[in-house]
Amino acid sequence: MSEKTHSGKHLTKVVGEAYMDLHARAAQGAFVVWIAINVPAELFYGFDNVVYGVPESHAALNAAKGAGVTQCEKAERLGYSMDLCSYARIDIGSVSDKGMDSPTFGLPKPDLLVSDTNNCSLLVKWFEVHHREMGVPHFIIDVPFCYEPQKEKDRQYIIRQFKDLIKTIERLSGQTFDEKKAMQAVANTSEGINHWKRFLTFAEHRPSGITAFDSFVQMAPFLVARGTPQFVEHYRMLADETEQRVADGIFPVPDEKYRLFWDNIAPWHQLRDMSGRLAALGTNIVGATYTSCIGTVEGSFELFAFDGGDPLEYCARTQNCYMCPHGMKLRGKSMKEAVQKLNIDGIVFASNRSCKPYSITQMDQQKLMTGQFGVPSVMIEVDHADARKYSRESTFTRLEALIEAIEAGRRAV
Amino acid sequence: MQINVAEKLLTLKGRGRKVLGCFPLYPPMELFYALDLVPVVLWGLKDAIKSTPECDKHLQPYTCSVARHLTEFVLTEGSGMLDGIFMYNACDTLRNLPEIITTATEKNGRSLPLFNIHIPMVLPEQTDASAYFKNEINQLINDLENRFGKKFSKEKFKEAVTKVQNIRKLMADAEKQVALGAIHFSDFSESVHACWFSPLEDQAGILETLINTGKNSKSQKTSLKTGVILSGILPPPASVIAAIELSGLTVVGNDIASLGRTYASMPKVSEDPDSYFLDFYYQHYPCPTLLYTGDRRTTSLFNLLDASGAKAVIFIGEKFCEYEYFEFPYLSKQLNDRGIKTLEIEIAIDDDAHTSAHRSRIEAFAEMLKSTE
Repeated sequence: MSEKTHSGKHLTKVVGEAYMDLHARAAQGAFVVWIAINVPAELFYGFDNVVYGVPESHAALNAAKGAGVTQCEKAERLGYSMDLCSYARIDIGSVSDKGMDSPTFGLPKPDLLVSDTNNCSLLVKWFEVHHREMGVPHFIIDVPFCYEPQKEKDRQYIIRQFKDLIKTIERLSGQTFDEKKAMQAVANTSEGINHWKRFLTFAEHRPSGITAFDSFVQMAPFLVARGTPQFVEHYRMLADETEQRVADGIFPVPDEKYRLFWDNIAPWHQLRDMSGRLAALGTNIVGATYTSCIGTVEGSFELFAFDGGDPLEYCARTQNCYMCPHGMKLRGKSMKEAVQKLNIDGIVFASNRSCKPYSITQMDQQKLMTGQFGVPSVMIEVDHADARKYSRESTFTRLEALIEAIEAGRRAV
Repeated sequence: MQINVAEKLLTLKGRGRKVLGCFPLYPPMELFYALDLVPVVLWGLKDAIKSTPECDKHLQPYTCSVARHLTEFVLTEGSGMLDGIFMYNACDTLRNLPEIITTATEKNGRSLPLFNIHIPMVLPEQTDASAYFKNEINQLINDLENRFGKKFSKEKFKEAVTKVQNIRKLMADAEKQVALGAIHFSDFSESVHACWFSPLEDQAGILETLINTGKNSKSQKTSLKTGVILSGILPPPASVIAAIELSGLTVVGNDIASLGRTYASMPKVSEDPDSYFLDFYYQHYPCPTLLYTGDRRTTSLFNLLDASGAKAVIFIGEKFCEYEYFEFPYLSKQLNDRGIKTLEIEIAIDDDAHTSAHRSRIEAFAEMLKSTE
């Protein structure tokens, strides 16, 4: 869908411009920050001339464009184990020869690295590789993992770190932070996410107005352009266009027989193949934990909107919303709600050796969803960015078995 | 000597002790001892766990052996022997285990209370997290007091601190006997391991016996051997240690997370737990799991090399422990640039039975070291 629609074309424009702008402004002397995916990028709009790059997002783009394995192999030749996260290997490989083979020519050299422990504390070790090799300062944001909803003491701890990050950038860049500008960026993000959530609701329609694969691809502006007016504009366009397509009876899998839900990071190297082959089976993966958690708080996929108050408070409150920084019970709660809301027939747990924090609780989660709530499920082996660790045929054998189980369940009723 | 962990725990329970299973390597032991608890660090259970069928119902095979053995033990042999579990944010895998384990035990009708704190991983020069950390420690004290009905006492804490410091000193002394070639590294690591599953009052005896064995040994011949440092999360299996020692190498120092890194730090004796542990964690000997220690890691390793006179470092990679694996290429390069030779071997969960390839590489490495002397 994304390549044929207006919003699909607009996505290419937004992402292309974001990378071009990043390179151009860096070349003109902007202060460049490399951030973990969930560092509140909105804070950088509080400065006149700070730009940011996201190594994880850049790695995903490499994988989606077929350069993932090439970049991984470069890192492996430097001595990095094949067991390490494929995003990290792609990034380290890409940096090793200054962005050769990267669809965006890599990222401009950073002035500051900002890692975040919320999704995984291993990301700190990954950024430390750059810190040591490039001699660039490294700021660690530390977000306490939560087994229960985020606690006030932890929120205040996170806010304190955001304040220290701002001071650090002021000191290193010589620029002054303007909270009003940052607040506007947070408001833009919140408004854009509101449209994003509207876009995701079209999965509730039968047949679904979207596929999870659309949502994976359409995440990109969240990673490279959040906080900007273009971000709002893009997601408004996406939601409006999807609404119109549903009204016009245009659906990605018109003869949808089976509605599935995906748990884990997107399989970037398989999006086209997997969606096409599933569609041929009358199957649509209509939703995913990976994309549903954006703009929420832990334990729920409902929108958590910015109320116009303290932007740091809002940014801190949403730091645990992604799937990895909170525990199994909270994850199970949000997944159960999504499964009911979207009338899901089956769940695909994508066990991903490159992301242990996402994958470790999946076996118990599967028992919960299938055993307790009666939703058929399957576990497949996928690496989000290293295509060498993926077997197409064994994956589809399992997916077909899931479809058969759903069908058998229907016949039994 | 192989430690029967289940038997050790049974003995403790038979003596009426409250046992706290600790998932991370560097728990605030002194605090637990001061509250009459026996903390047991649930690492190095390889010998106690022959296979992992129960764990395999919960964890994928690409989970590290530490997590898999720990889970298997708590859900099977160790079931019912623990009065609680303690956790801090040690790593991305371990942080998910408490819920998996408590959910499984609840299904079996047992409640296993979780005591959890967050160790701030921020860089102290960037963010002052001392107030946050002190609150975490004080909250932990409250939770333990409420659960176990014991009142915290500063005197008992100071007493525990002094005793633990003595244990750490004895461990360092025992390591010196290994460096002298007087005791085997495997005996040393097993004795340290035995301490983890013993009450504080028994630990000094275990270590003193080992040290005396070394002092009485007639096999002090280090001068004829090449000194190496072992670095990694866990000591290698006994067969690999034997291969190292039989090929004419002596372990003259270790940067092993479960050994040297646990006893290398000596915070100042204090009766104030929050200040003491702030010092303990922030001045801790560098470990990749303590994220804020990263900048001190290389220097510490160099210092260890200088102090021990080692000629080489053998990195023991625990399969799927990515914290270590992110560091090996950089550390190897730094060491090689200094003329220090390095060898990296990877130990997987069932590698005890398949170490012939490691043995060949170690022998070749030893030959190479000798030829360059």
